[in-house]
Amino acid sequence: MTIDYAFIFEALIEISKVLPLTLFMTVTPVLLGIVIGIIVAFVRIQQTKILAPLLNFYVSFFRGTPIIMHIMLVYFGIPIVVDVIAKALKIEYQSSSIPILFFVILALTLSAGAYASEIIRSGILSVPKGQLEAAYAVGLTFSQAMRRYILPQAFSKSIPNFTNVIIGFLHATSLAFFLSVKELTGVANIVASINLKFLEAFIAVGLIYWSVSAIVEWLAHRIEKRVTAYSRGGI
Amino acid sequence: MANDLDFTLIAKVLPILLQYLPVTLEILVFATFFGMLLGIVIAIPKLLHIPVLKQIITIYISFIRGTPILVQLFLVFYGIPALLKLVNIDVTRMDAMYFVIITYTLSNAASFAEIFRAAILTVDRGQMEAAYSVGLSGIQAFLRIVLPQAIRVAFPNMTNTMISSLKDTSLAFSIGVMDMVGRGETLIASTTRALEIYLALSIVYYVIVMLLEKVLKRNERYLNRYMPKEAASS
Repeated sequence: MTIDYAFIFEALIEISKVLPLTLFMTVTPVLLGIVIGIIVAFVRIQQTKILAPLLNFYVSFFRGTPIIMHIMLVYFGIPIVVDVIAKALKIEYQSSSIPILFFVILALTLSAGAYASEIIRSGILSVPKGQLEAAYAVGLTFSQAMRRYILPQAFSKSIPNFTNVIIGFLHATSLAFFLSVKELTGVANIVASINLKFLEAFIAVGLIYWSVSAIVEWLAHRIEKRVTAYSRGGI
Repeated sequence: MANDLDFTLIAKVLPILLQYLPVTLEILVFATFFGMLLGIVIAIPKLLHIPVLKQIITIYISFIRGTPILVQLFLVFYGIPALLKLVNIDVTRMDAMYFVIITYTLSNAASFAEIFRAAILTVDRGQMEAAYSVGLSGIQAFLRIVLPQAIRVAFPNMTNTMISSLKDTSLAFSIGVMDMVGRGETLIASTTRALEIYLALSIVYYVIVMLLEKVLKRNERYLNRYMPKEAASS
């Protein structure tokens, strides 16, 4: 068997048509995950009773199990919950009318929330306590100090970690293939099966993932350079 | 479809799934071991700045880090037989397990190489010079002075790689390996209760990851035993 280079190019064009969907499936969970992550990180740092241990379990469970499990659990679990609620409220709603994409994005969001919360927590904890005390000393409230001093520093320190999360979740979207969502890997598999050229199709999809990851890394590097331009320390 | 969760089924399938745990651990152990070996080998040209080889390895590492492990699995699964066919070796009937171990080895090697390289670079150059000044040879200085310090730095990252590699093994079933998830899929087919099976699988993964984390944390403390208290705890 020889590799059909022309077909790689053909597949590249065919598969990259669904790139927007994959990007949407990456960006939505990561953004929502950061929101969840900030909330969870604060509750865990403040060590709120009941809520903090619960969220500790949430974070450790989602970080301790494969993402494919989250997708499957949400895909099979949420419809049961929705049906029970619909029945209790006597609403005519079929869980089967929920698009599969919704489950995937929900699962990835929950997962991203757990990863993001750890990053934000370590980011906040990496800012010296004296910064908060200094902010208090000049009369700022807790939320002002957080918004103006602590969080910006925490975020700029967490950029490399967030880059890894974004790339990690870009790669995690490939798991939606198991629920036959037509994202990059799913379409690659379809293109491969139709033409019986599996290797070529997966080389093409690999190249697409690779370029997107490289672009994300390059962007993150530029942002990091700008954000940390004033905090080089020393002379 | 019956709606309520059948907890007895979870308890019932757990022992069945656990029988396939050795397969998962086998993938993990082989992939980590060979991944470390290959990682050391490919870290050397980058550390010594060997031209051409260094660039090739940079591209290799970037590719592995830039593509999903699922795509890598398919690439190895379809690519290696195609490659070997060029030299007239037919491996189309080879056990899928080998492809899985090869994929995870290649993937781990990229991570380990970067970890080793970064760890060795964190060791102060003066240490090497001090070792030379007391008369150690280059290899002795590296093995006795630099390496132990580098391992201490590298260990937490190696731990993370191993744990994410353990979680990644859950994809091995996609090319037909009968591991825990593979067995789970057949159980779903026979019981038609997907949620319970996936819950059981999640429990197993969660417990193993927690155990592995605990064991590795203890080793980390051991490696840090000569460090001052503050530095060790940070």
